[in-house]
Amino acid sequence: MNAVMTMLVEDSIPTRYSLLSRMQDRDDQDSWKDFFDTYWRLIYSAAIKSGLTDAEAQDVVQETVISVARDIQKFKRDRTLGTFKGWLRNLTRWRIADQLRKRTRSVPAGSNLSNPSTSLDEIASPVNADLEAIWEEDWQANLLEAAMERVKPRVKEEHYQMFDLNVVRQWPASKVAQTLGVNIGRVYLAKHRIMALIKKEVRVLEKQW
Amino acid sequence: MTTPLDPTELPSAVPAAAGPPPVVPDHELIRPIGSGSSGQVWLARNTLGTCRAVKIVPERQSRQGSSAGEFNGILKFEPVSRLHDGLVDILQVGRNEAAGYFYYVMELADDVACGQTIVPETYLPRTLAQDRARLKRLPAAECVRLGAAIASALGFLHQHGLIHRDIKPHNIIFVNGAPKLADIGLVTEASGVQSQTGTQGFIPPEGSGTIRADIYSLGKVLYEISTGNDRNDYPVLPEPLGNSAEDEALLLLNGIILKACRAKPWDRYQTAEEMMLALLNFQFNRDHLRRKRNEQFLTQVARIGWPIIAAGIIIAMLWRIIWLLKHPH
Repeated sequence: MNAVMTMLVEDSIPTRYSLLSRMQDRDDQDSWKDFFDTYWRLIYSAAIKSGLTDAEAQDVVQETVISVARDIQKFKRDRTLGTFKGWLRNLTRWRIADQLRKRTRSVPAGSNLSNPSTSLDEIASPVNADLEAIWEEDWQANLLEAAMERVKPRVKEEHYQMFDLNVVRQWPASKVAQTLGVNIGRVYLAKHRIMALIKKEVRVLEKQW
Repeated sequence: MTTPLDPTELPSAVPAAAGPPPVVPDHELIRPIGSGSSGQVWLARNTLGTCRAVKIVPERQSRQGSSAGEFNGILKFEPVSRLHDGLVDILQVGRNEAAGYFYYVMELADDVACGQTIVPETYLPRTLAQDRARLKRLPAAECVRLGAAIASALGFLHQHGLIHRDIKPHNIIFVNGAPKLADIGLVTEASGVQSQTGTQGFIPPEGSGTIRADIYSLGKVLYEISTGNDRNDYPVLPEPLGNSAEDEALLLLNGIILKACRAKPWDRYQTAEEMMLALLNFQFNRDHLRRKRNEQFLTQVARIGWPIIAAGIIIAMLWRIIWLLKHPH
């Protein structure tokens, strides 16, 4: 995935809210599906890297999506409220802290692990410290992965296989050509076309949210 | 992580029966062995002592579909089922209107561990999903054999005007070691009307309910069992991938899978028989591919080799000339 990322030149594009405004209508299933498909991995990964279990991380995904649905109206175009990226990070952080708080509540009284004086800040501070870095690292990777998933069904399957071997798995083009029994020029062409589509799709995703 | 859960992909840890078992004439229902969206499957024994599978479907009318539709599908499938070895035999169909369900009796799948030796307390049906979970990947030759058998059954079903609509590894069972299409709860008449009935990842972009949609689903099954990947990873090839004979066979099978799973239905195999023939031709194509690769290799050698040989001859001639000039006598 890093190989693909380094090949993309990211422009600074302001977030737009056209699809967000559609999300105010919670019956818009396509928008919600779109949102979920794009961001569930990012939220899940942040939760796991913050030390949660698989089950807890899945709860964080669910709860964060619900929070977005509930609070989207409050998220305005006003830049002083921050970007969508930052807002989603905060929602995720709070849901992760909720899970950690549930853990401390479930620890039996009198055990060495329980400490009635543990404050939310003390629970949240390791989350705060790490999540910032995790989020930054994963944000672009997540958009890239979401873009690749969107591009995959739109290209010829053989071309995607060439792209996957050459770019994602970093096989030399000659090896891809020999393994798949194709001309090396086709490998380069597939790589070029799909990279262009992915780049375009990343821009679309950035504009959507 | 497991991706957002598809309930049909949960392991068949069957819920314990609540209350007395349903009543099916001439059969003793022993315990539930499977469940799906439409009903529950029971391990049963008939009056001759032969073990059977019995599916109990509560009568319902819901947004997900009507049981009347499933019942009509079963009635049409039942006479066809016993005419092809690749279709699970439906042996009896009936209704218990008072209790509000209908049922159908089927031949029983092999046990995962013991084959045709059925121990009711431990019985677990052998499905292709079980094989895949155990083996991760099946050899290409095995995938081809299985694919050809199911494609043949599918073609037979289609010839009789029926569509399966839910082809996936869970719905391919083994009876006496032979693969059979099962879970015919969604079988319907071919009407050309597309729907989203089926299982996510096995439904083509245009929806289910057509011959070419069934072909797509079978292609995805072959993709999963030959690569070990999830169907949502399609068309990504497995890792590792090298130059072994098995990898070569996989890449040949890849061509068949790609054609079966084309996004546009008119680009796929148009009939299940066409796909079956492609799979049956697999060994011939494999030999042909090996010959073609050998020819390509020799061509490359020749392309590089001739200039080297020519240069060698020239150098040798020059060396001889120089030696003769130095030694005129």
